[in-house]
Amino acid sequence: MLEQVMTQYNEAIMDTDRDRALQVVHDALALEITPEEVVFEVVVPAIELMMKSISENQGVSLAQHFMAAQIASEVVDDMVPRFRKAPQIIGRVVIGTSQGDFHGLGKRIVAGCLKAMMIEVTDLGLNVAPERFVDEALAHDAQVIAISSMMIHTARGENGCRRVRQILKERGVEDRIKIAVGGAPYRFDPELYRSVGGDAWAENGITAGRVITCLIREVRK
Amino acid sequence: MMNGMERLTAAINGTLADRIPVFCNLLDQGAKELGLSIKEYYASGEHVAEAQLRMRAKYGYDCLWSLFYVGKEAELLGCRKIIYAKDGPPNVGEMVIKKNDDISRLQVPDDITSHPAFAEELKCLRILKAEAGGKYPVCAYLTASMTMPALLMGMEKWMQMLMMGPAGLRDELLTKCSDFFQKQVAAYRAAGADVLVYSNPFGSTDFIPRTFFDEISLPWMESDLAPGGTAGVVYYCGSARFNDVIESVIQNLGIGVFYLSPMDDIAEGKKIVAGRGVTCGVINDIMLLEWSKEEIRAEVKRMIEAGKPGGKFLFGTLVMPYAIPEENIRTMLEAAYEYGRFDSE
Repeated sequence: MLEQVMTQYNEAIMDTDRDRALQVVHDALALEITPEEVVFEVVVPAIELMMKSISENQGVSLAQHFMAAQIASEVVDDMVPRFRKAPQIIGRVVIGTSQGDFHGLGKRIVAGCLKAMMIEVTDLGLNVAPERFVDEALAHDAQVIAISSMMIHTARGENGCRRVRQILKERGVEDRIKIAVGGAPYRFDPELYRSVGGDAWAENGITAGRVITCLIREVRK
Repeated sequence: MMNGMERLTAAINGTLADRIPVFCNLLDQGAKELGLSIKEYYASGEHVAEAQLRMRAKYGYDCLWSLFYVGKEAELLGCRKIIYAKDGPPNVGEMVIKKNDDISRLQVPDDITSHPAFAEELKCLRILKAEAGGKYPVCAYLTASMTMPALLMGMEKWMQMLMMGPAGLRDELLTKCSDFFQKQVAAYRAAGADVLVYSNPFGSTDFIPRTFFDEISLPWMESDLAPGGTAGVVYYCGSARFNDVIESVIQNLGIGVFYLSPMDDIAEGKKIVAGRGVTCGVINDIMLLEWSKEEIRAEVKRMIEAGKPGGKFLFGTLVMPYAIPEENIRTMLEAAYEYGRFDSE
């Protein structure tokens, strides 16, 4: 039965059909599938399946990434309060776009996926100053700072990731906080993340979930 | 030696030229050329025209741009705040549509040519036509109706409305944006623009699933283009790939020039176009910030070898990043001129 729910949910996600996906979840609960199973056996595997499709170059579009993250986020918000006990948070992330960058779509996709993977996300919004990234990461005890940049000059700029790296170094917290970067310029230059001081990069919002989870594990090791 | 217009015409007609046309899209670099800040530079159509003419003469490529920056279109629809960077393109700093009610209030000017934000661009275009008309194609940039809302409300909110509705409101906004597009393309044509770059990331299956392309993107593109036709129109998806929709674009829209993504396979794109139009191979110009001279030459050679056989091919760039060293621009262009020569075969 759970397998059938998974299949129907995945089909709805790939069809970018939010209403159908939410109906599948609603019907599953009526069939006494637990909220925990909905999240961990349906929603998270759907994101993982999308990661697999992307890595196998099966032509998953940005709209499908967006809808998968959006629906996952909505379902998790609905299901978690119904859990028998509060879920264990696997880590904390602060996320925002780099200073001078006003493109928020990628950040939203990443945040939706992370939430489904039980990672606590603090969204700092658009045009975030480098000092603020670090201040907020420390304040929230975050393991990862995620910086999204859609333009090459904000990805490479002196007030983007480079400056965040410098501040982490100055404050002596590089072993406690890792930096993940993403956005169009990194797809066109896969080595760019190194030159701007990132620890890792993600090709898209969905795979960012995996990349950030790895960084959290690295910090917590 | 032929000029840019002769090379472009030869590429379109499939006749012989000295070399393939080379389109190098230098925009913000004009500020550097005139020793101005980017904000000062874009304040005047005369500045932009002067720099466009100077840069074309200096480097020898084949196109001129009337485009200032993409956010300019939002100004025509009411945006009053543009944020200037010192080393990159200006950004829309105020969303015209902040809430759903703003959609019904959105006004498309009847005569966009009288709008102050268009006046400077028009001034630039007229200077370019007067100085280089008929010799070098003057390019204008137009955002498709389906992409325009991203400039008015932000891509995040637009994607949400596009995918989740409400459909009535979405269509009201698209209708206004298509009306705006039709007026804008007519204005550019009347002012003498030769090349009309039709920019629509939502025309790529990197952005939307194929069913969405067929059922929603395509009809809105038809709405944009039907009244004015496709003469001079170039299909471009803002660096997103689109080889898999070329056949549909030819069949349904009748567009005949395809400005590929750097991620598209040039040979495959050209095979799909199959002589029915011009294929433009586009370099990954972000890498021009990092590549060595040898790497740049090797990449240009690879691209041109994939696209040049049989003609009807153009070499192009995306919007070149401001920080690309001048030496690397020259290396790319010299390689394109060398490998793009027809007498070298």
